[in-house]
Amino acid sequence: MNYRFSLGIDLGTSNSAIAISDIDSERTEIIELTQALGPNRTGEQPTLPSAVYIPHPDEFPAGAFPLPWRTGERGEPIIGHFAREHGALVPDRLITSAKSWLSNPHIDPRQHVLPWKSEIREAKLSAFDCSRMCLEHIRESVRHAMRGKGEDFDLADAQIVLTVPASFDEVARNLTAEAAEAAGLGKVVLLEEPLAAFYAWTAQAGKDWRAQVRPGDIVLVCDIGGGTADFTLIAISEKEGVLELDRISVGDHILLGGDNMDLALAYALRAGLEAEGKSISDMQFLALIHSAGKAKEAMLEDETIAEFPIAVPSRGSSLFGGTVSTKLDRKVLEQIVLDGFFPRTGFEELPQKTRRAGLQEFGLPFASDPVISKHLARFLMRSLENVESSEALRSLVAAEARSKPFLAPTAVLFNGGVFKAAPIRRRVLDLLTGWSDGQAVRELAGYQPDLAVAKGASFYGRNRVTGKGLRIKAGASRSYYIGLETSMPAVPGIRPPLKALCVVPQGMEEGSEVFIEGRELALITGQPADFRFFSSEVRSGDAPGQILPDAERELLEISLLEVDLAAVEDIPAGQPVPVQIHAVVTELGTLELWMKHTKSDRRWKVEFQVRTE
Amino acid sequence: MRSLSVILASVLLALAGLALAPDTLPGPYADEARTILSTAIAGMALLLFIALIAERPKAMAPVQTTPEPVQLPVTEPPESNADADVVNLLSIFQEKGRLVDFLMDDIAGYSDAQVGAAGRVLHEGCRAALLEHFGIRPIREEGEGSKVTVPPLYAPDDYRLVGRISGEPPFTGTLVHHGWRAEWVKLPRLVTTSADRLPAIAPAEVEVR
Repeated sequence: MNYRFSLGIDLGTSNSAIAISDIDSERTEIIELTQALGPNRTGEQPTLPSAVYIPHPDEFPAGAFPLPWRTGERGEPIIGHFAREHGALVPDRLITSAKSWLSNPHIDPRQHVLPWKSEIREAKLSAFDCSRMCLEHIRESVRHAMRGKGEDFDLADAQIVLTVPASFDEVARNLTAEAAEAAGLGKVVLLEEPLAAFYAWTAQAGKDWRAQVRPGDIVLVCDIGGGTADFTLIAISEKEGVLELDRISVGDHILLGGDNMDLALAYALRAGLEAEGKSISDMQFLALIHSAGKAKEAMLEDETIAEFPIAVPSRGSSLFGGTVSTKLDRKVLEQIVLDGFFPRTGFEELPQKTRRAGLQEFGLPFASDPVISKHLARFLMRSLENVESSEALRSLVAAEARSKPFLAPTAVLFNGGVFKAAPIRRRVLDLLTGWSDGQAVRELAGYQPDLAVAKGASFYGRNRVTGKGLRIKAGASRSYYIGLETSMPAVPGIRPPLKALCVVPQGMEEGSEVFIEGRELALITGQPADFRFFSSEVRSGDAPGQILPDAERELLEISLLEVDLAAVEDIPAGQPVPVQIHAVVTELGTLELWMKHTKSDRRWKVEFQVRTE
Repeated sequence: MRSLSVILASVLLALAGLALAPDTLPGPYADEARTILSTAIAGMALLLFIALIAERPKAMAPVQTTPEPVQLPVTEPPESNADADVVNLLSIFQEKGRLVDFLMDDIAGYSDAQVGAAGRVLHEGCRAALLEHFGIRPIREEGEGSKVTVPPLYAPDDYRLVGRISGEPPFTGTLVHHGWRAEWVKLPRLVTTSADRLPAIAPAEVEVR
């Protein structure tokens, strides 16, 4: 296909952004997104807050939120800036972090349950709907902007690259791709966000980037945004004089980010106010969180500021009488942000496990331990485990990097709003240097983090179209397994362990397929069959067809597979059909599983269902 | 009208910045500062008033930097009237920086500390709004007090010469104020305003329980 543009979409947990690259001129720019800024007010902003607000049908008159591509019916959900600002005051009607709900293992992303625990009477939305709606908004806004520039633009002219967290498993990735298709974006290419950041860096640093890395380097891409932390390791090696890059490890989905820091600061400030006998309302507290965030940014940027004044207005019209003032002290800031979230812990200190209460409330699985240093330690330990488990990965990582109980990075690329602050970047480098017994860990220079993920995605799309430029070898970030019942004599009280059959090896490349030989399964026509589906991010050595003795002990259960063998002509109903598993990682980066009849070419697609207990 | 409101908004903000000064001044100067402050506030209110009742223009200055879309799937809303645009601008400064609350509140009964605290709210919010919607920069980059040469055939709104003006241009003199200019304006578009009433500056807010 002849693409003229490459469109990079960063569908963020808190904010989305779009970059477009012209394939011929190589020019990349950010497309500002049209959105409701208030009733009767629309405008363009560089990002679209990923917030969906469900208004009461009588809350706003019809047509109060028109967009260039729709009139805005009464009660229709509102997306973007106004949705976030107004929704903060009406939390029952606001959906945020829909993306994190997509990867929630306990809630079906297609179930209409959002806003979570809300008692509104209007129709609720599913996490899938929210992603689809944000993407629809983005699609229309891009078309509107391109027409405004006088470009003769058609979506079919663009290679679309959509970024997903590296921590997303195949189920969440497939859902994202499906949401994009449902939003009219067609088949999109998926790219892991930390890799997009790395592509952005190579483009921004120009030719210089090759001088900044050398074979044997292990680059940690450390991405902490508003609500999530995402870690990835990239190994640099050399083959016949050419640098090769391999993504060798990805972390878990950690719901911990800059918002947690603002909240922690706001709690401290509120406690200070209360100690002075001043009280603030819940609504003022929201303003306090916002101001605390601003103060944090200003003080971390300019390290000479000893204290930062904060004034929180009342909601009423008297500004002089109702404003409460306080200040953020540098000592408090450092105590909370640096020592609270990034303390100098040892590499052996891991995050506390979630307390398992008997009746646990399902919701977003927020990180129970706020110490990012410990999450990083855990990631690096598990990365070593992953690398050690396969010969191929071991060969990419120098013995020195494997000499500790964790995989030691030699360089870091920082991404995300939290790392705009130099003191936080310094602290993370300090921490890593300390863990490596003083071996210096450097920061990759020349990176402009603003909207870099969207830009990196559009660079990557351009490389794909032209076939030139850098490609980081990635493939499947995890290995995948289906559960097989063990046949053994029944014993009361003993449940036979569930065996696991590896169907997708880690690193399986885009555009490749694998048939699981020698493991025939029997399916009965006319009835749906279920399989439990597992993954692991630390077993790079497992080959397709390999059996693990105990799935539940070693793997993470992520989904339920369902295959429905409709009755077929030449096979009588109720008769077992011998099938073999056929796994495909598409060119676009999504996973498909098929059950193929061993005696014919007929095959049935396996659907991912969410495991709900 | 739009360009007028741009300038007025800038002036208002510059004046509003003064509101911060008394809080930081030492005791003996506080009274004097208070007088300046009241004058500033009065001046602002006056300017605001002028802004609102100023002449109804026919043609609007081409301030939008991005060209309007060529064609749209939905018909473009009717062109909003200029008064509504001014109220729209005012409501942005009210929403972000509580400008109208600040000006309409009775300042006399409050201490400098209270006025200062309110000034911070005003400054932070209005500044953010100003920087978001206007590409604002000084007309002259030189430091105030330095010697500058006024280019011949300057735009009359770019320079004001004071003192003793004589001889041939180009004129040289001391830069008293570096001036401000908006290089671009990016205001939210006001949609579907009814012809017979102006939009609200700030909605009445009701917490429903």
